[in-house]
Amino acid sequence: MRLADRICNRFEHDGDFIIEEHILAGRPVRIMGFKSLINLPKTWANLQSRVREASLDFSRDPDSALIVLNRLGHRISEPDEAALLAVMTAGDLIIFYEDPDTYLDVVPIPVTLTRSIEQPLNENVLQGSASAFNDDLATNFGLLKKELNSASLCTKVYLSGNHSPRKLALLYLEDQVEPNLLHEVTERLEANKNRDLYNLQRICKALGFQPWKAVPKFYTTELPMEAAHALRQGRIVLFMDRFPFAMILPALVGDIFMMENDRNYPILFMYLIRGLRIAGIMINLIMPGLYVALVSVNPEVLRIELALSIAESRSGVPYPAFVETLLLLVVLELIIVASVRLPKSIGPTLTVVGGIILGQAVVEAKLVSSLLIIILAATTIANSAVVGFQNSLPIRLFKYLTLILASLFGVLGILSGLVIICAYLASATTYGIPYLYFIKPKDDSHDG
Amino acid sequence: MMSRRLLLKLAMLACCTLTLSGCWDNRDINHRSLPVVMGISREDSKYKVFLDIPQTSDDGTRSMLVTRTGQTITEVVDEISSNMETRVDLLHLKVIIFERKYAEEGLIDSISSFMRSREISAKAMVAICDEDLGTFFSKLQKNSSSDQTVLYNFFEKNAGWSPSVAVTRTWEIFRSIHSYTRDIAIPLIKSGKSTVIENVGAAIIREGRMVGQITADETLLMNAFDEESAHGKIEVMNHASVLIVSNSMKHHVALKDGDPYMRSQINLKVSVLETRGEPSVDMIKDELETLLTQRFNKMFKNIQRHEADILGVGQYFRTRIPRNKLAHWRTEYLPRLKIDLDVKTTIQNEGNLKTVRDASIK
Repeated sequence: MRLADRICNRFEHDGDFIIEEHILAGRPVRIMGFKSLINLPKTWANLQSRVREASLDFSRDPDSALIVLNRLGHRISEPDEAALLAVMTAGDLIIFYEDPDTYLDVVPIPVTLTRSIEQPLNENVLQGSASAFNDDLATNFGLLKKELNSASLCTKVYLSGNHSPRKLALLYLEDQVEPNLLHEVTERLEANKNRDLYNLQRICKALGFQPWKAVPKFYTTELPMEAAHALRQGRIVLFMDRFPFAMILPALVGDIFMMENDRNYPILFMYLIRGLRIAGIMINLIMPGLYVALVSVNPEVLRIELALSIAESRSGVPYPAFVETLLLLVVLELIIVASVRLPKSIGPTLTVVGGIILGQAVVEAKLVSSLLIIILAATTIANSAVVGFQNSLPIRLFKYLTLILASLFGVLGILSGLVIICAYLASATTYGIPYLYFIKPKDDSHDG
Repeated sequence: MMSRRLLLKLAMLACCTLTLSGCWDNRDINHRSLPVVMGISREDSKYKVFLDIPQTSDDGTRSMLVTRTGQTITEVVDEISSNMETRVDLLHLKVIIFERKYAEEGLIDSISSFMRSREISAKAMVAICDEDLGTFFSKLQKNSSSDQTVLYNFFEKNAGWSPSVAVTRTWEIFRSIHSYTRDIAIPLIKSGKSTVIENVGAAIIREGRMVGQITADETLLMNAFDEESAHGKIEVMNHASVLIVSNSMKHHVALKDGDPYMRSQINLKVSVLETRGEPSVDMIKDELETLLTQRFNKMFKNIQRHEADILGVGQYFRTRIPRNKLAHWRTEYLPRLKIDLDVKTTIQNEGNLKTVRDASIK
């Protein structure tokens, strides 16, 4: 059985597969591919016009027909079933003709399977370019190249994985990048070419990061501006096909509260905004712990008037402060987790139920004190002050450490919790670059 | 393998913190009673302790008075604690009031036990009550049922304190007991007729025992001597009353033939509040200076008689008298101390009316 027939048999029941017989350049050809990936009418019209442009009389000169056909795509040198399948699943069209048996890999006009360039979905931009990265790798390159118009911008594309190959792209500025970082990343990507890399965890594994670290290794952003800034700092940007974020490597502590977009504000307000973000982080880490510490371990720190009013607000609350706080924190986390997944039309309902009804009822039922509601509301709001969703996750986690230590050791526990967190952050490195490192851009376009 | 060992270590750490921290002793704030005022009197070699405990309830806070007698103060507090539904925590104790009779017997034991205690703050303020503590507290209770911090606010600098009230903290009394050259005055209060508390003056404490008292006016001078800003005090004379805006002190000390000598200068900046008749600026100044000098000399004689250095002038002689002789500062040097006080007043302004004029200008 011939190869073409074998493939035909294989896809007999596949509604997506298409195999058609046509005449192209005076020769009978078969074209094969997937309807969902190829815009067939347009591709066909394109192929025909290319043949026509050769303006040869194929009936007289059969050899010239072969030459023209071969120019349409590149020949698959060792055609077997696997090779043809790989070409077709990648979205290409195969043209097959006999005498001699030839399989051509033709780049077709694809069906658009990507949304157009839109505003960022996960972060809003107030003053700055509003186009965000997209699912399509090439679009993302283009956006970044528009943003960073520089000849030294290098792009390396990898096709990783054997099962379902996926494109990975690595971008860096030749004259800015840390050579050691580039070397480490490229070496690891080359070494793990056979792995299927289709999510961040797998990429982390391929890059050799420890999996259980709480500190993010990538700073993922949707904004070309941020990615361009990272490149200027000498960092590396990774793109994965069908992943609408730039992964900036390595993530640094500054990413939590510094955005390049801040520089579109006057410098005074830039610093004020960044200060607010830092204050948000501190509030988030300290407040729940401080409440527990002051209420149950160190009430002597409070002024007597405040102590009395807190005692009044807590009278009748059955649980110790720690349990009370933990209970409500878990409910708040649930609200956050739930509202991420919910459709936009149901989201507000949840907010109303969670925020107003639950909050009000829980106080009126005297399950928690009203002061705690205020504190946890402040904590949750402060949690959103940081830049980037992935950065808010470790902070959300770390506050439980201070909370537990505060319930054991009071105000001293909060301090020791902060020390532990600082030590942990200080211990995190990426290829020898410490997490707490502040990069100064090497060009002198920045001041302050 | 590596992570398993780490997990084991973390589990160990968690167990240790849980078992060794003693966190089961933590009590939430609503299960603690936080007395603000403690009164101590002595009856037949037994302590009688009054605790003023603010109680929170739905209709605001009320204060509760608890009384008990016992051999030691801690025993009394413990007994009160065991009889209440909450634990008595002296962490927030702000004011400690001694009955005058007990203060005259000597406060050394109580003060040192307060200093030793980890619960009672060394910053707690101390006062002496010039009447029976029982009646004082029952009146306080009646007049201040809605506000439990009356007594505390009375001494608080940013609340109701005025410069003619002495402010003394526990650690200062402890220091005075163990110092050669410094005694202390404790505010003397009693329940007032129209106000909750009335300021009587200050008690002169010598080595932990109350030996005499000074008036409220003299307390003002004492505070001025310590540069405890005499803001807002009205000084009444025959012709005018003034507001002391700021004061500063200058001291010059010397030993003349073994006798201590001190020249002090008080610089007062005042502003005129009230006038009677038409006094000139010079008149007001002169009267103020003589009045203050007389008042100071009277107070100082009083101090010398009791051999209690509540002004702390001995501090200025510490570098001049050898240490072995310094021990006798109160008995040998203080009574012989000659002090020349020079009051210098500047009338900073006459308020909004420019009617007080120098005679020459008129």
